[in-house]
Amino acid sequence: MTERQVVRAPVRHSPAVRQSPAAGDLYQQDNYGRTLLRSLIRAQLGATIAVLVPAAALLLLYPLLTVLVPSLGQASVGGVPLTFIVLGGGIYPPLVLLGFWYRRRAERVEDRFAELLEQRDD
Amino acid sequence: MTEPLILGAIVAVAVGTAVLGARGVRVAKTPADFLVAARRVPPTLNASAICGEYLSAASFLGIAGLALQEGLGALWYAVGYAAGYLVLLAAVAAPLRRFGAYTIPDFAEGRLDSPLLRRAATVMVLVICGFYLLPQLQGAGLTVQEAVGGPAWIGVVVLGVVVVVGIASGGMKGITFVQAFQYWLKLVAIAVPALVLLMLVQHPALTPVNRAAPPIFHKVTKVEFPDAEVVRVQRPVTVDALGVVDGVRRNGPIVLAGGDYRIGAGTTLTFPRGTPAPSVASNAVLSYRQWELPLVRIGGHVAHRLASTYGVVLATFLGAIGLPHILVRFYTNRDGVAARKTTSVVLLLLACFYVFPAIFALLGRLEAPGLYTSGQTDSVVLALPRMAAAGTAGIVLSALTAAGAFAAFLSTSSGLLISMAGALSHDLLRRGVRSFRTSAVAAGVVVTLAALLVGGIAINVLVGWAFAIAASSFCPLLLLGIWWPGLTWKGALLGLVLGGGASSLGVVLTIAGVGKSGWPAVLLGEPAIWTVPLAFAAMVGGSLLTRRSLPRDVTRKLLALHLPERVRVPEVSG
Repeated sequence: MTERQVVRAPVRHSPAVRQSPAAGDLYQQDNYGRTLLRSLIRAQLGATIAVLVPAAALLLLYPLLTVLVPSLGQASVGGVPLTFIVLGGGIYPPLVLLGFWYRRRAERVEDRFAELLEQRDD
Repeated sequence: MTEPLILGAIVAVAVGTAVLGARGVRVAKTPADFLVAARRVPPTLNASAICGEYLSAASFLGIAGLALQEGLGALWYAVGYAAGYLVLLAAVAAPLRRFGAYTIPDFAEGRLDSPLLRRAATVMVLVICGFYLLPQLQGAGLTVQEAVGGPAWIGVVVLGVVVVVGIASGGMKGITFVQAFQYWLKLVAIAVPALVLLMLVQHPALTPVNRAAPPIFHKVTKVEFPDAEVVRVQRPVTVDALGVVDGVRRNGPIVLAGGDYRIGAGTTLTFPRGTPAPSVASNAVLSYRQWELPLVRIGGHVAHRLASTYGVVLATFLGAIGLPHILVRFYTNRDGVAARKTTSVVLLLLACFYVFPAIFALLGRLEAPGLYTSGQTDSVVLALPRMAAAGTAGIVLSALTAAGAFAAFLSTSSGLLISMAGALSHDLLRRGVRSFRTSAVAAGVVVTLAALLVGGIAINVLVGWAFAIAASSFCPLLLLGIWWPGLTWKGALLGLVLGGGASSLGVVLTIAGVGKSGWPAVLLGEPAIWTVPLAFAAMVGGSLLTRRSLPRDVTRKLLALHLPERVRVPEVSG
């Protein structure tokens, strides 16, 4: 029987493709670094909220709507219940699209942040 | 009813998984090999592996079963199970990967510098995984019962032993490739039967004309009772009975005039064509009008239903990010960007899967009303193919769903038990290989015994509770820990204890039978609606009151969480 071993990564992150000397400032906790970090987190959080609010609205408003307009909960399209069409498939495409849209937006935020650091190096 | 083909399919899945796992272990012999493998897993393969681990008995059997019993509103569980990955994607995946913590206790200690908080998180890991593991074992019992006809406890014990032995011997470690294979197996095993049945079933219209009427047997239908049940008959009907009815042994036609009848285990009743399907006394059949409402059915009033729907949505939407066995998988992502890509693909793969349990629920309502009569709605995915398709086709399709179901139990239970044993041995007992094995055996035995004791609760409801507890404890810990610099370990501990404690208490009281109707049933049975806000409030409030306990290097920790890889300087941890 083989010994069980704990496998740990020796480095905590992959080597940076491009390293910006300015990133060092961020660690020195001076005011500039802290402001820069805060702006990054705020931009990321903005992207997160921009995708989670519409998703939550979709999930929370649909049941409310069917309570306020009871006929909606019992409607059917071509003999197939509307509830089945929505909860059994129709609700997923917007959620998946929101996911892919978030990924693009989050990557753009990171690109802009990297550019900002590089500009400062010049 | 014994079907060798179905039993064969189950055995094939178990053996196939073991062989694949063993081969994977042989290919990757040294720790360094594992590491290289971890780094090279492409996001799409990784996403399949996460789905393979995630899609459990609840997704494969439970959703369709609950939707058949309680109405289409139960599909909210599926929607939430998938949508939870949007929260994971947008708020957790990349920062957690960048932080380098792969279990929640690791994150709790690394972010807030408190060994005590780490222990509290470990206890919550055990609670959540335990509640999640319980229904997996129940599902295995159901599958064996359906396939071999034996009592359900055999399946529970068999799966319990297989998983415990597999993990304790170190041979069933979750290899990415095996888990990825499990996803595609499960997708094929539910999609092919669903699509074939959809084509086979010749229905004039999916909506019955009389929407107030109960479901009707469209043909002469044999209803099998694997367990003893009390059946409530509304309209007199003459059935062909084989077995025990009201304590009397029968073999031939009897008249069920109306009222409650005690049907013995192993009895078969054959109903004539065109009669309404009776239901078990404990669970009345819904009229079609009630059944198609998109609301979770707890309590009687419409406000109860809306509240319990929100409870389910909140628990599943926010609970997915707090599942210990899933977060471990993010370790295999190369970096934060890859973690995001993986998560978005997971969302897509889950959306593809969850279409099919819904189809099973709808077809089950039309084609398998006998499941209401025998109280076996949770087995609709296993039973429907043989009811709706005649002869060999039905048996082959049943074998396929049984194989998929078993793949679901195996992959999810292994992941859960590894998380439990890891947490127990690493954080609560002595560390080391022996301790890990003892922990796996201990946790496995406790949960197997619990699964034998807790019967009669729908699989999906149990898994939903695991999500509710995760949403009320780990969700606020992760979200606030990642996005709010002001979180202190004392605040986090307060939230973990209050939120995790209150939601667990609600669940335990519901299992004990407290709160049968009205608001108590809603607030105890779907606790997330109040315990999630409670946990968030406690964490924020507690942190604001204990500002002195802030970790000293908050900025450094936030950098570790949020700084993109490309602008990092090496040695973040200094």
